[in-house]
Amino acid sequence: MYKKIIYILIISVTFFSCKKLAETPLSFVEPTSFYQTKAQIEAAYAAAMNSVWSGWSGYQYPGIQYFNHDDQIGGGNLVIPNNFSADLWRRHYEAILNLNSAIAAMKSGNLGTSVDATTYDQLLGQALFLRGWNYFCLVRLWGDLPLVLDDTEDAIANPPSRTPVKDVYTAIIADLTTAVANLPAKWNDGSITKPTRDAAKGMLAKVYLTMATAPLNETDNYAKAAGLAKEVIDANTYTLIHDIDKVFTLDTRYGPEVMFTFTANYADGTMSPQVWTPPVLNGWGDFSVQPQWAEAYPETPRKDAYVLHTLNGVKYTNWPGTSTPYIKKYMYDTPEDYAAYRSVVTLPILRLADVYLIFAEADNMANGAPTQAAIDAVNKIIDRANGYAANANHPLATIGMSRDAFDALVIEERNQELCFETGDRWYDLCRKRILGEKTIEFYRQNFTDDDYLYPIPDNDIRLNQNLNQNKGYSMP
Amino acid sequence: MISQPNGKYTEKPCLPFIALSVKLTIILLTTLVLQVNAESYGRQLSINQKNISVATLLQIIKKQSDYHFLYDNLQVKEMVIRNVSVNNASVEDVLKESFKGLPLSYKIVRKTIVVKQLSETAVTISPSSDQPALQTETVSGLVTDANGAPLQKVSIVEKGTMNGTTTDAGGSFSITVQDKKSILVFSYVGYEGQEITVGNQSYIKVALVPAADALSDIVVVGYGKQKKSDLTGSISSLKGDDVTDLGTQRVDQALQGKASGVLVMNTDGAPGGNTTIRVRGMNSVLGGNNALVVIDGLQGGSLNNINPNDIESIEILKDASATAIYGSQGANGVILITTKLGRRGKPTITYDGFYGMQKILKTLPIMSGLDFAKTVNANKQSQNGNGFTPPPVFTDRQLDSIAALGFGVNWQDVIYRSAPLQNHALSIAGGTENTKYMVSGGYLDQKGIMVNSFYKRFTVRANLQTDITDWASFSVNWSAAKEQGNAPSFGSSGDVAFNQKPANSAPRWDPLQPIYNPDGSYHQHDPGYGAYDVWNPLASAVEPKIDNNTITNSLFASLDFKILKGLTLRISGGGSIGDVDNSTFSNLKTGQGLGANGQGIITRMLWRYYQNSNILTYDRYFGKHHLTLTGVQEQSSNYSKYERLTAENYATDITGNNNLGGAKRIVVYNSNSFRQLQSYMGRINYSFDDKYLLTASIRGDGSSVFGANNKWGYFPSFSLAWNVVNENFLKDQNIVSNLKLRYSWGITGNQAIQPYQTFATIGSGANYPYNGTDQTDLGYYVASPANPNLKWENTQQNNYGIDLGFFNNRLNITADYYTKHTRDLLMYRSLPNYTGYSNLIDNVGSMENKGIELMINGDILDKELKWNSGFTISSNKNKVLSLGEYERIPFYTSNGGYGIGDVDKPLMYLIAGHSMGEMVGYKFLGIWSTKEQAEAAKYGQLPGDEKFFDANGDGKINVDDIVVIGNAMPKYIFGWNNRFSYKGFDLNLLIQGSQGNDLFNIPRVRMEASYEGTSARLLERWTVDNQNTDVPAITDDLTRQAANLTSQVNIGFDNRSSRWVEDASYVRLQNVTLGYTLPAELIRRIHFKTIRVYVSATNLYTWTKYSGYTPEVSSYNENDASIGVDFSSYPQSRIVNVGLNLSF
Repeated sequence: MYKKIIYILIISVTFFSCKKLAETPLSFVEPTSFYQTKAQIEAAYAAAMNSVWSGWSGYQYPGIQYFNHDDQIGGGNLVIPNNFSADLWRRHYEAILNLNSAIAAMKSGNLGTSVDATTYDQLLGQALFLRGWNYFCLVRLWGDLPLVLDDTEDAIANPPSRTPVKDVYTAIIADLTTAVANLPAKWNDGSITKPTRDAAKGMLAKVYLTMATAPLNETDNYAKAAGLAKEVIDANTYTLIHDIDKVFTLDTRYGPEVMFTFTANYADGTMSPQVWTPPVLNGWGDFSVQPQWAEAYPETPRKDAYVLHTLNGVKYTNWPGTSTPYIKKYMYDTPEDYAAYRSVVTLPILRLADVYLIFAEADNMANGAPTQAAIDAVNKIIDRANGYAANANHPLATIGMSRDAFDALVIEERNQELCFETGDRWYDLCRKRILGEKTIEFYRQNFTDDDYLYPIPDNDIRLNQNLNQNKGYSMP
Repeated sequence: MISQPNGKYTEKPCLPFIALSVKLTIILLTTLVLQVNAESYGRQLSINQKNISVATLLQIIKKQSDYHFLYDNLQVKEMVIRNVSVNNASVEDVLKESFKGLPLSYKIVRKTIVVKQLSETAVTISPSSDQPALQTETVSGLVTDANGAPLQKVSIVEKGTMNGTTTDAGGSFSITVQDKKSILVFSYVGYEGQEITVGNQSYIKVALVPAADALSDIVVVGYGKQKKSDLTGSISSLKGDDVTDLGTQRVDQALQGKASGVLVMNTDGAPGGNTTIRVRGMNSVLGGNNALVVIDGLQGGSLNNINPNDIESIEILKDASATAIYGSQGANGVILITTKLGRRGKPTITYDGFYGMQKILKTLPIMSGLDFAKTVNANKQSQNGNGFTPPPVFTDRQLDSIAALGFGVNWQDVIYRSAPLQNHALSIAGGTENTKYMVSGGYLDQKGIMVNSFYKRFTVRANLQTDITDWASFSVNWSAAKEQGNAPSFGSSGDVAFNQKPANSAPRWDPLQPIYNPDGSYHQHDPGYGAYDVWNPLASAVEPKIDNNTITNSLFASLDFKILKGLTLRISGGGSIGDVDNSTFSNLKTGQGLGANGQGIITRMLWRYYQNSNILTYDRYFGKHHLTLTGVQEQSSNYSKYERLTAENYATDITGNNNLGGAKRIVVYNSNSFRQLQSYMGRINYSFDDKYLLTASIRGDGSSVFGANNKWGYFPSFSLAWNVVNENFLKDQNIVSNLKLRYSWGITGNQAIQPYQTFATIGSGANYPYNGTDQTDLGYYVASPANPNLKWENTQQNNYGIDLGFFNNRLNITADYYTKHTRDLLMYRSLPNYTGYSNLIDNVGSMENKGIELMINGDILDKELKWNSGFTISSNKNKVLSLGEYERIPFYTSNGGYGIGDVDKPLMYLIAGHSMGEMVGYKFLGIWSTKEQAEAAKYGQLPGDEKFFDANGDGKINVDDIVVIGNAMPKYIFGWNNRFSYKGFDLNLLIQGSQGNDLFNIPRVRMEASYEGTSARLLERWTVDNQNTDVPAITDDLTRQAANLTSQVNIGFDNRSSRWVEDASYVRLQNVTLGYTLPAELIRRIHFKTIRVYVSATNLYTWTKYSGYTPEVSSYNENDASIGVDFSSYPQSRIVNVGLNLSF
């Protein structure tokens, strides 16, 4: 009998000695075994843009929810709650994590000899452009930031403090300057939308212009902004579209005027176009235009191109189901796409018209009065808006204007030309410190200087004692 | 961190259980042959013994000689030899002498003696001339069951002696007893024992009745069986009848209200839909709270696809003493299902079938076309802020024609219907001398109450058990199920937007919309008013081509060896393979399909689960000591494969998913994973004198999914019980028939971490057209940081229980009190977003559940009219103890379009110190009355506006005023089951309910919105003359401007208002079944054993204040922290069945 047991036990042990419990991933890779090829590096950039675009599209499309406290978009009343735009913060930092991972891998030689030096530089240039731009978005909205770069110690284990705005800009300039040096004037690998040298220059010009205004007010940056903007204009890589009603179309969404933009195709479409069309067009009307702003917008061909205020001769006040105007800039889907609730409409991040206006503003401020070059630059935009015809509602700038009058004119031109574009108006209101003055009267009582910065998200403050909250917001 | 090349897992799985079984058998047989051939030499024997068992005798012979014995039937070992008195006799002589009068024969093959039992019918016991004083009376007879069917193998023992026999296949027996005063004790498993004094009878007819005394029942426990009276843990036990009595097609639903401590929620009413079962509350936030289901020893089963008629018993293991044996899988309770096996005898064929109709329980009250049109006009004309009153949407002339139209279209009637269902189950069960079997087939065909929904289920099961030798037996259980189903998307799940889901859209599409356009195409809502963003509900329901198929196949085989007296080894192994193949095609008539120009989604899932369990059991009585030792070595692995394919942009609608080549765009997602578990377990059960019982166990689990630093976890338990009733001081009374006190303690785990969660990962799928071309570029993103410390959640549970029985257990009461403390709760620990990560899965929190359970069961009447009544009530109190660094954690229930559960408007929260299921929002206090005008004005509100609780008293209503507004957890649940029988009639009545739980009724938000709603409640809106209402007024803009108020209610589009929180307590007449069994004598003539017909009604009536379709739903099933939200789930139905049971 006992033999039997012994046999069984021996067999049991022999058969049941199993392999170890170690796990080997099947359907994903670990960071240590990625970022080894050009394609893998660029896949990180695509993911970075995917993150940011996720923040800006959907019901946020085109980031309107984040900027509804400006004077253009209906809805915001300058009571900015805690945690406002926390998702945008998260999305930008997600992008930065992906970019930092790729940059660190490249710098540590992951790519080896698989790419030549030029390709390496161009790859690095793209990452730095994207990282610089991401921080540029963040610093304008939140001020001092936790600055996480590729060589920063593990930010989970070592909770950082907020880096002052000035030092964040130093990092942004470093990134964009290298990007300018590394990026090609044009991509010859079939890409239409990867950042180029001029896009980097234009972005850097915008950074300098912003630094010259609030909160840093480092006015010696005006000249740098003007210089770079001029270089971009003179390079003629990008050109203004002639007709105002052709600026926003399916054909022109990636150029020649658009310099850097979010992208979309039918595989990665954007939010159903109905989000911003009125019920009268079978839309959902989630976002509308502040009527006071639309009323103040001068009657020009540009108004008809950018703002949906009249439909078949009927003014918005008489449309059924609504009483506000809507955004027309992005209503260029084909009727078929519109009917099928799909859209490939994108959202430009930088376009040449912006660079013209950057030049005009910076040149005027640098020189203490508008130069002819500055006047020509802004007039290019005004003239196009007017359909190249004189318009008493919207006159051209003239020589002899004072510095401040010209500056106000340029800012107003930005307001009209760059309306609803990735928060541009909000940034202008903030850097020029004119939010209290420009917001509609109804909301003015709610304005305080604290509104110029958004609240640091509750989550991050709660998890990192080293972070302090912006003024005017409560600790979570 | 491990970073080895892929494919390592493809090593041969280490579970060659079948090969192993074969080899073991060969080795055992070899051993046996060796023994048989063992050399031996003869010897003369001397034996003087009285009243010894055959086994003992043979043991003695073996000691004195070198003979070996084989039995062809183990029962012979227990037969009693009255007297053996031999000196220097040969073995043959001893046997001849001893077997005198016993139905035994022997055969000597070399030195092995094979003892055989004589054919039972041939047994005639003649009085031995040697012992004339002892055996004087011969009695024969017949033993049957209550219906007169003969019972075989019934044990008959002369009381006070070891003398006994068993009945033959015809139920007949014959026994010789000492005298007429002898008492015969008849006993048979599952039947009441019976004692009969022989007296003058020479032929005794006995009808045994099924045991009412549940205490003698054998209860299946983890890795073994126990007498119910020996249990020390807390186990709810149900018999197959408890399930089939209800005439239901689903096992999970049959548990509702029947087992204490078990919460069953039918979270949707779709055919083949979801049920949430929770044993003793919810311990886990992320880990899942599903109980482990073990079917005939095979773990990881499903209750959905099991044929209720196959079930012999269901045991629900609740306390740690019972579940710790399942270690890291035991924290949520364990449901053990044992399926049927035939009995020895000729086959019994059983048929059980029913046919029924289902109907929606109720529809939501909506306005008539005319009322709706007037409400739309009223709302439109209130938009006069710019001094200009907009023209009405409907002119007076249009209103007239609408009035002439009558009610209009009630869209709920368009998409809901009466739907038939039928269920058939056929089985054959029987057995021979060595083999028992049961083979069954089941077929369920259920149409859903929503058009275009159905569920079909085919099930097959074959169970076989056979004795290979007297020390080895083999059993195998095979089951397979094929499920096919279809239901238009509902609730919160799936790919379809809520406004294209018919359950959501039908009640809120206004009655003025025609179904079709004149050209026969689906009408879409007229623009500008009402729910015009919503897709035609009928098109949404019928146009998607949905075909969901699931096939599961399970096979589990065991070899049982009796190694020594009391020592058995079971080697078992098997697995289950599942294949899910779901396909949905949305054509251009659906919103989904139009957006994508035709969209097909194909989902395939495959899993392969293997399990090998080796159980060594030693079970012996030593006088008054009863010891059972169990050792288990077990391993299991699970490979799963998921593929999802989305095809869009088709050139034609016709071929759909049958021709994916016709789609311009195909996106594929797939993921594969593998996990394995290795376990060792030991358990000791000890009892002394049936009074003092002890169980202790420990299990060690090594799991691949745990972090590198925590691969092994250990789960101990112990329990004590005292059978007070067996103490002497309770001997001399006949009131208390059972009194047992129980205590248990133990630790169980929840290993429901998904594989690979301890790794830092790069994820794919963050694609983006980075190059601006039509070709999307792949995006790989940093998905998660590593966490090598990740481990199982562990739950420590204490249980205090008492079992009481009175009047010979006619009345039974079981009460339990438990406390569960779960530590190392798996949760997403938020990371600061500047790290680029959102969170990290980690063991951060702790949670507590405390509860009481009471079960009372009694035979109130037991004469001709029988009434058995069982009542269970359980209360569980959950408390989140700690959430790591947090006070509260929001649960998003992403739900754009309702202003609830968006990222910045989470509705459900886990709050430290509070119970799970907490809802937060604005406390709605009603509508400002004209009397309160001044106070309303402080908030910039007018009479007729909504009044909210200003929690911080700052004169403003904003996010700072968000408070707890409800909780989804019931305070207690109960069930009351009654069985009546009178002659051939039986009546079953089940009432069950839940009290104290809230439900957030999302659909009302838009149905009662004045700008688009259809709810009849809008007619009750506030007016000066109707102030006692909770529906706000439609106040026009001019009136507001005239009041010159600045609104201080700054909640924007945020509908987290307690206005939508409703008390979802309910009491339901769950089931009424009336059956009639034809008299046995009548049907025997036509060779039937039983014929029963019945009518059964399920979900007959619900008493509730809840205004939605049903108070039981929950649309967010992915996480228990967000249950209690009703978002247009599939409504439940009332079912009436007519059924037939046959057996012959």
